[in-house]
Amino acid sequence: MAKRITIDPITRIEGHLRIDVEVDNNAVSNAWASCTMWRGIEKILRGRDPRDAWLFTQRFCGVCTTVHAMASVRSVEDALKLEIPLNAQFIRNLILIAHALHDHIVHFYQLSALDWVDVMQIPKADPAATSKLAESLSSWTRNSRNELKAAQDRVNAVASSGQLGIFTNGYWGHPAMRLSPEVNLLAFSHYVQALEYQRKALQVVGILGSKTPHIQNLTVGGVANAIDLDSQSALGMDKLEMIRTLLAEVVQFVQQVYFVDVCAVAAMYPDWFKIGSGVKNYLAVPDLPLDSRGSAYDLPGGYIRGGDLAGVKGFKTASDAAFRQGVSEDVMHAYYQGDKALHPWAGETEPAFTGWDGDQKYSWVKAPRFNGEPMQVGPLAQVLVGYSQGHALTRKYTDLAIDKFAAIGGVRATPAALHSTLGRHAARAIRACMLAELAQKHLQLLVDNIAKGDYTVHNQPVLPSHEVQGVGTHEAPRGTLSHWIVIKDEKIKNYQAVVPSTWNASPRDRAGAHGPYEASLLHTPLARPEEPLEVLRTVHSFDPCMACACHAFDPSGRKIGVAKIL
Amino acid sequence: MRTALIGGIGNVLLGDDGVGPFVLRMIESQYCFGEDIELVDLGTPSLDLTHQIVGLRALILVDSVASDDPPGTVVLYRKEDILRIIPTEQLDPHSPALSECLMTAEMLGASPEHVLLVGIVGAQYEPGQGLSPEVRESVAKAIAEIVQELQRLGYFCQAKRFPDAPGIWWGETRGPDRDRKRKAVSNPR
Repeated sequence: MAKRITIDPITRIEGHLRIDVEVDNNAVSNAWASCTMWRGIEKILRGRDPRDAWLFTQRFCGVCTTVHAMASVRSVEDALKLEIPLNAQFIRNLILIAHALHDHIVHFYQLSALDWVDVMQIPKADPAATSKLAESLSSWTRNSRNELKAAQDRVNAVASSGQLGIFTNGYWGHPAMRLSPEVNLLAFSHYVQALEYQRKALQVVGILGSKTPHIQNLTVGGVANAIDLDSQSALGMDKLEMIRTLLAEVVQFVQQVYFVDVCAVAAMYPDWFKIGSGVKNYLAVPDLPLDSRGSAYDLPGGYIRGGDLAGVKGFKTASDAAFRQGVSEDVMHAYYQGDKALHPWAGETEPAFTGWDGDQKYSWVKAPRFNGEPMQVGPLAQVLVGYSQGHALTRKYTDLAIDKFAAIGGVRATPAALHSTLGRHAARAIRACMLAELAQKHLQLLVDNIAKGDYTVHNQPVLPSHEVQGVGTHEAPRGTLSHWIVIKDEKIKNYQAVVPSTWNASPRDRAGAHGPYEASLLHTPLARPEEPLEVLRTVHSFDPCMACACHAFDPSGRKIGVAKIL
Repeated sequence: MRTALIGGIGNVLLGDDGVGPFVLRMIESQYCFGEDIELVDLGTPSLDLTHQIVGLRALILVDSVASDDPPGTVVLYRKEDILRIIPTEQLDPHSPALSECLMTAEMLGASPEHVLLVGIVGAQYEPGQGLSPEVRESVAKAIAEIVQELQRLGYFCQAKRFPDAPGIWWGETRGPDRDRKRKAVSNPR
């Protein structure tokens, strides 16, 4: 008899991810992913001036404010066929890169590392042995015995206080935890350091965006940063040098710590290269434009079907016709009215809540499809799409990762092994290394362009009175983000956001095809079904975010239904 | 150097969840502060909140709260109240919330000495901007609590003789009449 497990953490009033799995013979036999809150925020935008939309869209989500602002201005620019000055492109690219680096670092260390790292083993570690081990893995200078001892002392203090505080909910001592005390300590020491370096990345966003959260420097047609090399208040040499210094530190952390740690975890849990693949259709859009028209990009896009890397199809532009025409959203199993799969420009968001029913409707997330099929989006999609098209930068860091798996754990992996839970983590670290390199490149491109005497940051948008439509895309930390806008009489007629987590957390569609989270969980072995750590590992590997962001504080700390067995 | 942070938390597009940023904009327009106090509209942060709060002497946050009290009730919480909350399973990055960030700061040994959460019980969290009447009513009380806390801790905080227009660009009142809302933004009194 199959057991049903529901993972449904409730800390907000509403709005979070819920996972239901059926377990048979200690393996997942069926899975449902759902979001428990209505995402009807798009309706707020109708009738507004399209030039204001980005201010509202950046409040969609509290974690990724920047990406929704960017996709929004790009949607209007696409509709108006507006070119963007080079300075504005590079400033935007730098903001997007810095935000992504922050996000990837936080995701690995703060949001998922403790799925693999057993904090309660740390008191047993020998800091001197840990330091020696660290030296064999990386040239990072902050792996000294003293620094590691300090990290161990923090854990000892928490453990001996009897109140685990931030570590209350870990699956400590779970049989699926397999790292040595020393590796656990090393990873935890980097967990603490990561808080410092992700902040430096955010400081870059703050300098260019004038504040964070909620950048203020965007405008349809460019950016609002004034460039003046001699002024301290404008974007000048002072600020550009500050950015260079911050980026240098973040780049070092990403390449010498984050990338190495992910490779080490992968090398020590090689069975997880065989778990968690699910949907092997991948989608990514080109991003980081290199010219004002958006005809060349530093990150490639395209799509792969059924894991067939050789059959990859590329996208030429960020709003490629194949992408524009291919996207639809199905609401067969989502709490919305209507029974047709609709293109986002014709999309509707009319709620029809019926309560959770796994056979009927069970999620507030629509089911986006590309050419009728579910697609996995995110760093893995981007790395596979780039690798299979021979993109040099993607190949460089993917091959480096594959070499590291072998060097650390003797694990022989191929790009095909990346169709997995570990593959998603590895791809995120690969992407972070690529972005780290590109951060420095785009800063130099900006400096060089300014040095030519080009101070232009903005082209004036002109809104036509006839109806126009556009799509603004961004390859966000969690994957392909697209904002779809219809403008008429200088006002927004329709607006739909198809966010990365909608692709990945999608429910089934009318054909019964699972979304990526759901499919990835099937056949996952569970050592202890009542402690479904393995389910969390795979769900976390996607970097889930439900983009609904209702944060009302619940002082009772009501803890409902965590891993409830029905 | 900043030693105190006043932060408004909440989503301005989800009804009463926007009360935190609303209170922040109002107090910003009505008072002047010393340079050691920073005011930030934090939106709906997750772990980002950790780096905002580490190393502070005083942390004052305003947020909507879920409680059995009637909408508009102002409820105060201190550090020990917040640390009592047991973190739940984290499925997505929205899950680490205030208590987790404070616990992380504690673990780092850099938790603020004084913490005050000014909670306002919300009535509705439907998509749409603007506060319910009873929540709008309680804004003045929330501001008074913040001012009192700052004075207790010896921070400079003084009412402006001529308040600025508050920067509530997302709209103050609920209802379908958007033009009325826009007018309210540009001419708040």
